[in-house]
Amino acid sequence: MTLGTFVRKNRPRWQQLEQMITLMEQRSREARRRTFLQELSAAYRATAADLAFAQTYFGGTTVLLFLHQLVGRAHNQIYRSRGLSLKEAIHFFRREIPEATRRHLTAVSWSALVFVIGIMLGLSAVQFDERSATLLVPTQILDSIYSGRMWTGPIMSVLPAPVMSTMLVTNNISVALLAFVGGLTFGVVSFWILFFNGVMLGMVFKLCANYGLLGPLAGFIATHGFLEISAVVLAGGAGFVMANALLRPGNYSRRDALSVQARAAVRMAVATVPALIVAGCLEAFVSPSTLPIGVKAVVGLALGGCFWLYLLGAKRGKTVEPS
Amino acid sequence: MTRTADFELPEEIDLQMEVANVGSRTLAVLADLGICGVVLLSVYVLSSLLDWNVTDWLTGFGANAVTIVLIMLLFATPWIYFFLFEWRWNGQTPGKRLLHLRVVKVDGAPVSWIDILLRDSVRPLDAFGPMALLGLLLIFVSRRGQRLGDRIARTLVIHETTIDWSIFDKVEEAAALEAPPVRLSAAQWELLHRFLNRREELPLEARTRVAASVYQNLKPLAAGTDLERSPLEPEPWLVELARRT
Repeated sequence: MTLGTFVRKNRPRWQQLEQMITLMEQRSREARRRTFLQELSAAYRATAADLAFAQTYFGGTTVLLFLHQLVGRAHNQIYRSRGLSLKEAIHFFRREIPEATRRHLTAVSWSALVFVIGIMLGLSAVQFDERSATLLVPTQILDSIYSGRMWTGPIMSVLPAPVMSTMLVTNNISVALLAFVGGLTFGVVSFWILFFNGVMLGMVFKLCANYGLLGPLAGFIATHGFLEISAVVLAGGAGFVMANALLRPGNYSRRDALSVQARAAVRMAVATVPALIVAGCLEAFVSPSTLPIGVKAVVGLALGGCFWLYLLGAKRGKTVEPS
Repeated sequence: MTRTADFELPEEIDLQMEVANVGSRTLAVLADLGICGVVLLSVYVLSSLLDWNVTDWLTGFGANAVTIVLIMLLFATPWIYFFLFEWRWNGQTPGKRLLHLRVVKVDGAPVSWIDILLRDSVRPLDAFGPMALLGLLLIFVSRRGQRLGDRIARTLVIHETTIDWSIFDKVEEAAALEAPPVRLSAAQWELLHRFLNRREELPLEARTRVAASVYQNLKPLAAGTDLERSPLEPEPWLVELARRT
């Protein structure tokens, strides 16, 4: 068969397939008819066979290029995954996120450990030499501590609480995201973010203790602190999951190990977003308020507890392989 | 040089798709960020107009709300934009659609939402701001043009050539004639037909020149047929040749 005969004979079929794919791409009602699917399947298979034929006999021609394109587009539409249904979304949050976290509890523990070591180093650094705090803690905070005032009170804040909360949320989400994505740098960036934030917290704590501000500081942190730190630790853990896949790929190639584990890691990272939004709102509205510290601590502990209960205690369903 | 990616389909066919190059991907991202920028700017302008009316009856709350919405938009727009479009448009954003690019799985299958989430969450490391240089470098050196996010999500970006069957329109007109057929290879046949299809668009000088060149190439093939000694000019001769294939 010459190329001329080939094109002349089959072109109507190709054009028909192309029209059908266009209808599918536009999600037209037409594309949901039963007969449409039968015609589509016939046209697709015939065109795929034409492609195979053209690959053998008409290498390097435009016709072959077009057939590749056509079959590729058709394949992409035919094997298209369904959209995310509500049921799947619920399943994702109820089952997949907790399961991914439980599977990688070791990484989360390491992340928590790095954070705690950071806090302790921060504490002992200030204990050893108070000036070390000037290296990391912002001068604005330092000045207010030295003068014996908190930097968080409602009078101190220039911005209204709702605006403040939005900024806190976006900032915290950025930090958590970086702690997660930083896993790709073999964990160096994740480690640094956890460690740095830990050291900061430790230094501020010790400084406040030195200047008699421990009570106000605890009152400020009690509400949002547990949830916020939990979320950052979880994000760091997700980063460590990816770092671990890169450093110790086991029987897989590094690339394969990474793409398998990243699917669990991203699930863990998604869990931090709602937690950080709640924490940010609390930080702006409740933390600076003059509620008794007992109430704040109960609310904060309850929220942090709920977060971990959700991650670790959610009912075990059937194991879902990462897709 | 174009790079191709081979997919093996369930139908046991090797499908070849062209991998999108650095230039087109950069342009697509720039177009996308441009769209984000325009949207944000217009929201900003609109909100500053709105501000005048709100502040009076809500004493400050309106201004706060506008500020909050602006901060959230500024932060979330790039994320939501890339995620939603690539998810709902099956691997395309407006910028990608403009440049005929599409994200697909490495086996040619369509991307799922978790793939998109994964490849977009890595953007701060290889696509946003100065880190884009790293992404560009990776796209450039990687065999299948994958940046970091693509590798993790096992996706790649392909370039879809527009299919234009009309370049074979003249095939129907040149339907067989009762004359001894001339055997052309597939490439020669395409050369002939693409010329015949395009010749009306060419300026006269180029038309004659290309006709002569195609004629020179195809003349030897007509040996032994009635066209061999035909006194026709190159172009009519090629028309006659097309009727014999």
